[in-house]
Parts: sequence; structure tokens; C-alpha cells
Amino acid sequence: MVRRIAALIDKRGVLWRLVQRDLRIRYVGSWLGYLWTVLDPLLMAMVYFVVFGYILNVHRSGDQPYLLYLLSGLLPWQWFNATVLDTSTALTTEAKLVRSTNLPREIWVVRVVLSKGAEYVFSLPILIGFAVVYAVKGQAHLDWELVYWPLGLVLEALLLVGIGLILAPVTVLVRDAQRLVRIFLRFFFYFTPVLWALRIVPGALGKALEFNPLVGVFELYRAGLFKRSVYWPSVLISVVDIVILLALGTWVFTRLERPVLKEI
Amino acid sequence: MSTVISADDVGIKFYRSRRRQVQLREFLATGRSGASRDSFWALRHISFDIQAGEAVGIVGSNGTGKSTLLKIIAGVLLPDEGAVTVNGGVAPLIELTGGFQGELTARENITLTAGLHGLTAEQIEERFEDIVDFAGPQVRDALDMPFRHFSSGMKVRLGFGVITSLDEPIILTDEVLAVGDKAFREKCYRRMEDLLAQGRTLFLVSHSERDLLRFGERGLYLRDGALVGDGPMAEVIGQYNSDIEAAT
Repeated sequence: MVRRIAALIDKRGVLWRLVQRDLRIRYVGSWLGYLWTVLDPLLMAMVYFVVFGYILNVHRSGDQPYLLYLLSGLLPWQWFNATVLDTSTALTTEAKLVRSTNLPREIWVVRVVLSKGAEYVFSLPILIGFAVVYAVKGQAHLDWELVYWPLGLVLEALLLVGIGLILAPVTVLVRDAQRLVRIFLRFFFYFTPVLWALRIVPGALGKALEFNPLVGVFELYRAGLFKRSVYWPSVLISVVDIVILLALGTWVFTRLERPVLKEI
Repeated sequence: MSTVISADDVGIKFYRSRRRQVQLREFLATGRSGASRDSFWALRHISFDIQAGEAVGIVGSNGTGKSTLLKIIAGVLLPDEGAVTVNGGVAPLIELTGGFQGELTARENITLTAGLHGLTAEQIEERFEDIVDFAGPQVRDALDMPFRHFSSGMKVRLGFGVITSLDEPIILTDEVLAVGDKAFREKCYRRMEDLLAQGRTLFLVSHSERDLLRFGERGLYLRDGALVGDGPMAEVIGQYNSDIEAAT
């Protein structure tokens, strides 16, 4: 495994250029490109705010201000969602390049994680904007725990690499897997603390949801924005989940690399 | 003289049918492809050593594993048995176009492919003119056209130009010369001669006896996935020809 990481680090120049290319295609030549990255979560946040915060009046399900709570979860969710979708097809969409260049195959997964991660970072101004507005109005309580945010970023990146390493080769060999991934993501959204906070989930469901790796990650993102402090047991569970997923991902990827190359 | 490519009892098997689900379960459970009626060994017990600066040609009829061997050396296929050790970078021209994408323009394809094979942006800029010159005036005029509109001759010229502009010490080419016209072949020969003079190693797959004799000093003869000949090119071709005559 160390050898594979070393091979990947060796090709980091190529990885960097692939990511640059992705971002250029996304943003250059169309200011709409940037707008989309921000508009999608912003609009969804507002819709959820109106439906859950106003119509259903359950805005106490999350920390206050609820809109800030929604946004701080929607932006990293967007990264998660887009990356899982794209890494699961990473080897099939780039099949031609995979077949004709001898690059470490993980590069195709890591590239998506980094490209979408960059888009996540570029979409942050909208969150910062709202945080500042709420802070000025005295409704938000920003504190030093903002310093944990980069840790959340690193954990989410590692989580996505682990998941991608599992899904990418599997979907080459089992076509239907792509469809399953899409369906899974749709309901996983509701089992992730974007719209709600873990503390309000009752009984056995609450216990089960504790194991969702995104719970700990989102704790780190949100710590500095709200009064509550980081709930470290959640972060610990996330770290354990992520280590397991990375190990599993490496194993699956290495095991399936041979038949994947023959299939592609 | 150092060994740049070393194949040690290499074998690879392919499935005849598209039973992917079975593949997945089997591989996760055993990690090895068990022998099954549905598969065949495309290559088996292949061993050879190539020294730096050699020009080697692979000889054989269609379907005997020539391209498969090339892909294993290039690293885009992994063998099921044995191992291939390659000392040094490889510049592969596989499948005619080395990974060019139809929707991109020629210009974009050059930067993409050269970049993926490790050239920096400055290096690509330096060599860009050279590559386009090699590919010819037709390609120069069509630089901003989507690649899929190119004729196969133009595609190969561009592919060959890009791959041979890389710095890698080992060059692999797969049946590319078959598509070019005489003028193109001459250009390619001259370039290959230049590369060999620089000390690079060349690995060539071709059906054309003339090309093989001109370029390959040494021949590897593959028959039904086995290495049955390894020696001076003329001898190996002789062996190949007599096998064909014996069969017909």
C-alpha cells in the first residue's frame, strides 16, 4: 500500500494538472459556472428553510440560526454527493485514458475528490457571507472552534477517497451498481445531519445514525459557527469509519484492478 | 548494457463471455482467477530480457497476443502470472491514438496527452510546433477541429508525433505504421532511427515484414500465446513464414 501511495505522490504533477483542467472547464468562460456552485446549495437551503423552518416549524431541529445550520451542512453535502457520483463512474468515463496511460489508477478517484473539494471551497463565500450577517445581527455565535474546520475538510476528503476506491472498480464490473449508488445517495441525504441535529433523533435510530461518518465531520465544520462545542465521540467514530473505509477501499481497488483493466 | 524490460513467466487470461458478476465474486473471494472453461490464456510462460537501445519487433498472426504483450509492458494490463519489470519510463502508442479524445480539438488533445504522460506546460509549449510539424500540414490546418473528424492517417500522425516527443527511454508502438501512407512511413522511420540513435529502446508490433526487417534487429515470435521464437529478426520471420506455409 505504501508503494501505491508513493506512486501516486510521484505523479502529483499530473494529478494537479487534471484538477486544474477540471476547474478550468467548470469556471472559465462562464461566470455562470461559479454561480451554479453557489446557487444550487443556496436555493436548496432557502427551500428547506421555508419548508422545515417555516411551514413545518421545526427549525429547532438544528442549531440556530437554522438557515446557517442548513448551509453549513448543504455545502459539504454537495461535495459528498457530487464526488460519490463521479468517483463511482471515474474509471468508466475515463476508460480511454485509463487504457492508454500508465498512471496509478487511484489518480482517477483522487482527482474527482480534489476537483469537487476545490468547488466546495470556492462555494464557501456564501456561507461566510451569511455567518457574518448573522454575527453582525447578534444572532450567531462565532468562536475559536472555527479552527477545527480544516480538520473536517481533511476527514471528508479521506472519507471520499475511501468510498471512491470501493465504488470505482465495482461499477466497472457490475454495471447496475451506478444506479444503486444514485438511489443510495438520495436517501442517505435524509439520514445525514443536514436538516437536523443528531441530538433530536430518538431511540434506536439515533444510536444507529451515530455511526454515519458525516456526523463527526459536520461537527467539525459547525463547531465554530454555533454555541455548542465539538462533540468529540462523534468525531472519533468518524475517524474509525474513515480508517475502515480507506482500508477496505485500498483492498477492493487493488484486488479488482486486474479484472477492471481487462474489462475496460 | 542494462536490462530495461524483463518478462518472467508472464501469463494473462481473459474470459470468453461477459460474465462480470461471476468475475466480481470470484476475485473478491479468491483474488486469483481460477481456471474455468470460460477463459483462455492469451499469453503464458512468456520470458525474455530486453537491453537498453535494442529494437525489438513482435511477430505473429492475428490474435496471438502481440498487442496484449505490449499492453502488459506498458502497464495498462496486469498479468495474472509472472511479472514484467520495466526500468525506465515508457512512451506507449497503443490503439492507434494513445488516448486522444474525440470531442476535444487536436490542440487540446496534444496538451492533454502530453500532460498525462508527464510533460510540464513549458515542455509542451516548446515541443508543440515540432509535434504539429511532424503531423503534417493537414493537421496544422485542423488544429482546432474536434479530433473525431480527423482521418485515421491524421490521427496516427498526430499520435506518433506526440508519443515520440516524450522523453521516455522506451517506446512502444502497436501496428501504427499500417495506417500511414508511404510518405508518413518514411517520416516515422526517420524519427525512429533518430530515437534509436539516441539510445532509446524500441518495441514494435507490426504485420509488415518490411517494417519489421527495417527496424527490428531482434524478433519475438508469438504463436497462440506462447513465445516460440527469439532471435535475429530475419531468422524469426523466416520461422514465421515457414509456419504459415506449413499450415496452408
